[in-house]
Amino acid sequence: MLGKYSKYSKTLTLFIIMISVFMVISIFLPGKFLTIRNFQSMSSQIPEFGLLSIAVMLAMLTGGIDLSIVATANLSGIVAALILTKFTFSQIGGYEELFTIILAITSALIISLICGFLNGILVAYVGVPAILATLGTMGLFSGIAIIITKGYGIVGFSEKFLLIGSGTIFLIPVPMIIFILCALAAVIILNKTTFGFSVYMLGSNPIAARFSGISNESILIKTYMMSGLFAGLASIIMISRVNSIRPGYGSVYLLQAILVCVLGGVDPSGGAGSIFGLIMGIITLQVLQSGFNILSFSPFSKKVIWGLILILVMIINFYSAKLSQKSIKRLKTN
Amino acid sequence: MVKNNRSFKIQKLLKQNETYLFLVIITYSIFITSLNSSFLSLENLFDLGKSSAGMGIMAIGVFIVLLSGGIDISFTAIAISGQYIAANVLIASGVDNIFFAFLISCLVGVALGAINGLLISYFKIPTLITTLGTASVFHGALLTIVGTKAINSAQLPDCFKAFGAKNLLILTKPNGINYGLSIFIIIFILLALLTWLILKYTMLGRGIYAIGGDIDSAERSGFNIAKIQFFIYCYVGFLAGIAGVLHISLIRYSNPTYIVGTELSVIAAVVLGGTRITGGSGTIIGTIMGVAMVTILNNSLILVGLSSYWQNFFVGLIIIISVSITSYQSKRSIGNIVFRR
Amino acid sequence: MVEKLEKLLAVKDISKSYVGVQALDRVSLSINRGEIHCLVGENGSGKSTLIKIISGVVKPDEGEIIINGKRFQSLHAIDSISEGIQVIYQDLSLFPNLSIAENISLNQMIERKKRFISWKEIKNIAEREFSNISKELDLDEKVENISIANKQLVAICRALTQDAQLIIMDEPTTAITKREIDCLFSVILDLKKRGISTLFVSHKLSEVLQISNKVTVIRDGKLVGVYNTEGLDHNTLSFYMSGKKIVDSVLDYREKEGQKEPLLEVKNLSKKGNFQDINFKVCSGEIVGITGILGSGRTEIALSLFGLNRPDSGEIYIDGKLAKIKSPQDAIELGLSYLPEDRLNQGLFIKQSIGNNIVVTILQRLLNRFKLFDNSKKYEAAKEWIEELNVITPSLETAAQALSGGNQQRVVIAKWLATDPKVFILNGPTVGIDVASKSNIHNIIKGLANKGMGVIIISDEIPEIIWNCNRIIVIREGRIVKKLNTNEVTEDKLLDILARKSN
Repeated sequence: MLGKYSKYSKTLTLFIIMISVFMVISIFLPGKFLTIRNFQSMSSQIPEFGLLSIAVMLAMLTGGIDLSIVATANLSGIVAALILTKFTFSQIGGYEELFTIILAITSALIISLICGFLNGILVAYVGVPAILATLGTMGLFSGIAIIITKGYGIVGFSEKFLLIGSGTIFLIPVPMIIFILCALAAVIILNKTTFGFSVYMLGSNPIAARFSGISNESILIKTYMMSGLFAGLASIIMISRVNSIRPGYGSVYLLQAILVCVLGGVDPSGGAGSIFGLIMGIITLQVLQSGFNILSFSPFSKKVIWGLILILVMIINFYSAKLSQKSIKRLKTN
Repeated sequence: MVKNNRSFKIQKLLKQNETYLFLVIITYSIFITSLNSSFLSLENLFDLGKSSAGMGIMAIGVFIVLLSGGIDISFTAIAISGQYIAANVLIASGVDNIFFAFLISCLVGVALGAINGLLISYFKIPTLITTLGTASVFHGALLTIVGTKAINSAQLPDCFKAFGAKNLLILTKPNGINYGLSIFIIIFILLALLTWLILKYTMLGRGIYAIGGDIDSAERSGFNIAKIQFFIYCYVGFLAGIAGVLHISLIRYSNPTYIVGTELSVIAAVVLGGTRITGGSGTIIGTIMGVAMVTILNNSLILVGLSSYWQNFFVGLIIIISVSITSYQSKRSIGNIVFRR
Repeated sequence: MVEKLEKLLAVKDISKSYVGVQALDRVSLSINRGEIHCLVGENGSGKSTLIKIISGVVKPDEGEIIINGKRFQSLHAIDSISEGIQVIYQDLSLFPNLSIAENISLNQMIERKKRFISWKEIKNIAEREFSNISKELDLDEKVENISIANKQLVAICRALTQDAQLIIMDEPTTAITKREIDCLFSVILDLKKRGISTLFVSHKLSEVLQISNKVTVIRDGKLVGVYNTEGLDHNTLSFYMSGKKIVDSVLDYREKEGQKEPLLEVKNLSKKGNFQDINFKVCSGEIVGITGILGSGRTEIALSLFGLNRPDSGEIYIDGKLAKIKSPQDAIELGLSYLPEDRLNQGLFIKQSIGNNIVVTILQRLLNRFKLFDNSKKYEAAKEWIEELNVITPSLETAAQALSGGNQQRVVIAKWLATDPKVFILNGPTVGIDVASKSNIHNIIKGLANKGMGVIIISDEIPEIIWNCNRIIVIREGRIVKKLNTNEVTEDKLLDILARKSN
């Protein structure tokens, strides 16, 4: 009962927060927030950091963290951009163009998988704490990105490729559709497969997991590879939406992704958190973001606010953990 | 009883990371000198020392944090806050005094560090998440409240420029050009010494080692964990404040977006210096050598034919390799992974 | 002599209840100067609560505490320390990254509210105390590099630097060898000569009888009595401790006629530094006990069988077939299960629901034809085992941390029974579990054997081994030193074999 209660109460709290933020913004910004255009722009922004948030969440569920997601996204985005710009064939509109696009996307995803694999090896086999392993690879990946581009941006992709970032299907932006599909896939993987179950168990107690016949190494490597893959998917949407890529682009997403995770109820020490909660966190953050945009807050003041919310959520978690610890004691002695 | 003979000492020396790091630095320096003979000149060494003193001071702070089992990535935001606020206050008040600049910068540093300390010691928020959040808050607030305009050399109070040019030991090259030992290096050495004294000869310092070794035992022994953690992050803030002033005096310019983003190389230097990432083990000498190694490496990239674009790559590589070595060692010494986490 | 017998500590009629549970009920304990006093009781009898009250960590609900003739209304940890009471917990609370000298002296420095460190003083203090124990160790060595027995000596020295009058040792002998125990005992006797008392907390009766002057026995939170050691023997003490002569029924095992192959056979299994030449068989319906002190190699053998500690040489046969066990997955596949000794760290996922805890080993069986989880299958599997083993819980969704020790252990057992093992290895199946749950768990184990499972119980609790197993294997320093049938051995005899230094 306790487990159920705390799980539901957490989801409920999140839901209430999300709705209240939504209402407050709607009331204070009449005619500006509740417009179709604003909703379209919100839903084209959600996918990028939504996918990156799922990437961070996966690592967090195992009790680790992935600080290299943005660097991974950058590197795979740059590889895709290079292929798109260098491989373009003269006759436009032929199969060659489609082939180039597919090649670019596949290469980007493969690169992101390799990045995740390296993180996984470091964490699972070498035994490096995830914070430092991914901090190191963050430097490494962004370093490679700089070396490849010599620090310059890559601009201008073919029209067809841009459809991924800015096209719509029945008024729904394509990125949103990609994101919904990915989130669904993540829900199924986490809740309905032995792998997902093992991720949660490993995150709550890696030693007991090993003693229960779970192969920690393979689960960790797969998790970080998935984390990388989601970053890779984010990168494709990202470069297609802004029609360019430069090393270091999107570094603000790292803080936002971690913020969304803790806001969405993912336990940074591992073993707890759901995609459902994460999505409520994403929506809350995006609603706030869009409100700030309408109020034309500077990016710097947004930085302050994101940081403050992150810390505030952690402080609230501190007190709620204290409370639930007490209720467990009470239950135990009854 | 206590073995004191020479072979024992050599054995002990061979066990230490510092020994190997020292050998690597020497070998690499000889290699670089063979490419460019001016590398090992006193002038170049003084120059390297001066330009890396700020990073070294921040590294001392990171070293203490890692020693206590935590991590800090907000120190660069603190350093730039201290620097930029100090410079602005000096310009606005018209007080052209370097000590006043240090005072302001350090006050800002300690205050911001205290916020970290409070969140970590009282609310028990994981150190990474705390400092990730505060870094964003500190830097964002600086840019929002204090401003985004760079202070150029002409606007900069003279005391910074004078301080940046201050040399203690002035030598003259055969061609008549003077060079010298910058006061920066002395400040760095003094701070390293101060930190070493705190760690070695005060109860507080031993407490930092103790909580890095076993936080539960430290609590049972009667150490005040919250107080020690609070001190650590305030001290990091203080060091960052000093580093901020050194930085502005070095480049005679202040841009509130500088310094932030260099966390990685500082952390790389510290882990390269052999500080164990799980806390409790590491030396200040190792940290200094780590800083030296990273500085030499960065400085020599172009000499060995690589552009400065390679810097991030190498910094990342250094972190990965050095933490891999220490993690692998501790994993092996614990033996089977089953028995401990 | 009269002065020597003066009372150091007296606690009278101490009661303590945690919401709903009476941990201690009017318990008294008194210790004289220079006395070696043993506090004896089974796991869960209230020993640790009593220690915590004496050290001022826990406040009693009722009763009085008198130390050195002073009556304390409410005793704080600081009072207890300044009256000379020092507790050495099982984990020793040392700093692995600091030197021996510093570990010995640091607490004293903290107590004296020192702000600065004099390394000369640290060394002097450490040398002074260590010379008393007359042990030759490099005081500059880091504590992480020395043996557990030496760490214990460091902890004792540290207690002495704080002018200890009474040193409380909580189960100090569980992790050290016989030779090291002897060394520890000679240190304790030395302390006695210096007028320092020891409260030795243990459930190992032979050690209690060997070292103590007086014994206080508690059971289920109540005082059974205080006895002079001279008048005690093993049987009486064991009776006082458990309150029963024979409660558990002896295992009724008859070799099955038709059985050709043993379920499990271990041949010449060796791993350097762990164990040597291990040979034994486990047949269907048999319960084999493996006993030996901690560090004798008993756990290492079990881990090797379960794929967590690769042996250097030797073979393992399951159902007569050579088995290659490289990981727990392999072991589970072959029909082995292992209940680890450290329930909270190795056995349970305390934050996860009971349902998840049970099905973690049988995930493959809960999939539908799309290879996805079938929630109703999961629910049924978990429910079945909850009922089968009588786990008392509000629901399957309850987090495991909300259960009592006995119920938690039944959850871990359920997790393994769900895999339908051929051979079940249980390491310390009743550690830290109250008496009632204990016999319930023993009955579960016997029931499994009766259904034809092969069972191995690893334990250092002699009664547990004697009353539940039909054969006993005694391990010492990594080797099998004796194989016995339970019907040809008594507790005393088994203890004798365990305690002997060498063959």
